[in-house]
Amino acid sequence: MKLKKVAALSLATVMVAGMLAGCGNSPAAEESTGAAEQTGAEGEETASAEGDVTIWYYWENEGHQKALDELIKGYNDSQDEVAVQAKYVPFADFKKQLSIGASADELPDLVILDNPDHASYASMGIFADITGKFDVSSYYDGPVASCTLDEKLYGVPFGSNCLGLYYNEDMLNEAGCTVPTTWDELKETAEKLSTDSVSGLAFCSLQNEEGTFNFMPWVWSTGATSYEMNTENGVKALTFVKDLVDSGAMSKECINWTQGDVMNQFISGNAAMMINGPWQIATMREEAPDLKWNVALIPKDAQNASALGGENYAVIAGGNEEGALKFLEYATSDEQVNFMMNTMGYISADKSIAETQFADDPIMKVFVEEMQYAQARGPLPEWPDVSDAISLAFNEVMTGSATPEEAAATAQSTIDEIVQ
Amino acid sequence: MKSVKKFFQYDNIGLLFVLPAFLYMLVFVGYPIIDNIILSFQNVTVKNLVSGSRDFVGLKNYFDIFKDQVFIKALWNTLFFTVSCLVIQFIIGFGLALFFCKNFKFAKAVRGLLMMPWMIPITVTALIFKFIFGTDVGILNYILQSFGLIQQNIEWLTTANTAMFAIICANIWIGIPFNMILISTGLTTIPKELYESASIDGSGKLNTFIKITLPLLKPTIESVLILGFIYTFKVFDLVYVMTSGGPVNSTHMLSTYSYKLSFEMFKYSKGSAVANVLLVILLVISILYLRTTTKEEDA
Repeated sequence: MKLKKVAALSLATVMVAGMLAGCGNSPAAEESTGAAEQTGAEGEETASAEGDVTIWYYWENEGHQKALDELIKGYNDSQDEVAVQAKYVPFADFKKQLSIGASADELPDLVILDNPDHASYASMGIFADITGKFDVSSYYDGPVASCTLDEKLYGVPFGSNCLGLYYNEDMLNEAGCTVPTTWDELKETAEKLSTDSVSGLAFCSLQNEEGTFNFMPWVWSTGATSYEMNTENGVKALTFVKDLVDSGAMSKECINWTQGDVMNQFISGNAAMMINGPWQIATMREEAPDLKWNVALIPKDAQNASALGGENYAVIAGGNEEGALKFLEYATSDEQVNFMMNTMGYISADKSIAETQFADDPIMKVFVEEMQYAQARGPLPEWPDVSDAISLAFNEVMTGSATPEEAAATAQSTIDEIVQ
Repeated sequence: MKSVKKFFQYDNIGLLFVLPAFLYMLVFVGYPIIDNIILSFQNVTVKNLVSGSRDFVGLKNYFDIFKDQVFIKALWNTLFFTVSCLVIQFIIGFGLALFFCKNFKFAKAVRGLLMMPWMIPITVTALIFKFIFGTDVGILNYILQSFGLIQQNIEWLTTANTAMFAIICANIWIGIPFNMILISTGLTTIPKELYESASIDGSGKLNTFIKITLPLLKPTIESVLILGFIYTFKVFDLVYVMTSGGPVNSTHMLSTYSYKLSFEMFKYSKGSAVANVLLVILLVISILYLRTTTKEEDA
């Protein structure tokens, strides 16, 4: 009788576990499908096993993937010591895969990752310290800061981007508006442009890192830092966003829109202005060749501000560090950086290269100008916590579940616990 | 050698057959669960995941999550979501099963078509429902407006209560076929003679249903409800795609919150503590299920 009970209990455990396995075991499945996308394996059969370098990246954009393929192929053809191959990991799974990989000791040799996460993983100890191995003196400060932790360099900036204001020229002309440069003008213009089917302004306000990325320019523009939410300026930024939503100048649905969704709303004419990055340009030109749009600096309160985006290379500690470094040297050479940045629509993190880029592209020139004002998120190992507190705050404000003052106070108490 | 041989005679030989499955379960199910339980008693965060100096903190993670407003909300959401979905799915599924066991033309074909929602990948369903419930471009608001039922567009997915409603609707749509098909199968096991003799004895439709159909379907109904509970309670992809727990954490389920803690905020131990709460609840339900089924088999 007792045995039967034990058997029933263990059976029950197994049953539940089998059902939960749906959540838990999926990374393995993804890994195998991801392997199908491995690229640049041409030189593989000639290379020795020690000479392999695997890269993880998350760009879903086909143009980006092709550019990386070409970079890798060029490198593999140029020498036969190191064979590089890349593996695509979806952005939503990237952090998860790195965490799982770190605890299971199954990491690649090189990763191209989102810069605000860099500090977290560096503090985890999975990145090799490459201080002194790369000259980053000609790079912009923001990107270099994002690779640095405790004054040690744990990566090399891959390329950068930042946010700017896109506007629909036809809609602005029709409404008789000029391009806004200040918050007041922005609000006024957005209200004028709003109709039943068009919202004046849109920017991604998801309750995650992507949303925080789009919200921080408003905070920084007031002069506040990322850690000063419950100040006059922090509350001001929250109030501004709240007013945009309350006045109907911005759709509340932004809290469910990714930056890609926002771009789709813009090119289909449902949004007259949007905050977005230069990586959308290629798609916009392709999908809506007739749409007349232009780009300007993000309207400012006290000072110009934009959020620094982009990726960093990081060498995994304990992997094929030597091979990864060799590839990095090739990939960061002027010629290759130029090729990658121009193909992908990125701004080089290397100032000397960035200044020569896009000489005849007025739109990209705006983004290069905006780069001077772009600030990095963090760098702080606990940035995900800070980011979560901030994104909760603007979501509360936008949905009306808290006043700007309340939301700022809640966010501040979380931030103060983290940042002493 | 002889004793080994003796051991595998008669009943014990069965153990040998079970062994491969048992080993598989031990490695792929048992190990992760035990590892996860250990993880929830430690304080693993981004800083010590790799370095290995993990402190044992006892029940601290559990105390912490039960003080966490979002966790309490997620726990309540999961229960509310499960019970509402279960009740409505079951009633509609039962109704459809009764309807399709009448042998009219195309009954089988239409019943087959109704299985569609069950077969569509959940991510696809979630995206479709996300479009349906869109505020400005959603078809639901369009329909409601053109019938004059609403003046202003309803902000389905950006208001806490309506977002929950939308997710429940989507899940009900998915779950109806599951209920319907299991109950249909149950209905076919009831001997026709019983209904015939009941009608000869002058029993009415409702009376037949209460006195014959329901009691004979009891084992099926129990299975459907308990399996349905387990399937619904562990919902993840639907919520993750439709709202990712928003707006303002109002639609977080235990599963999505556990994911967020572990993989977005790097609080691995807290995330696993939340997952273990989910595990314990499902364990209780499963024991209940096994009890009822084994009792019936014994009887």
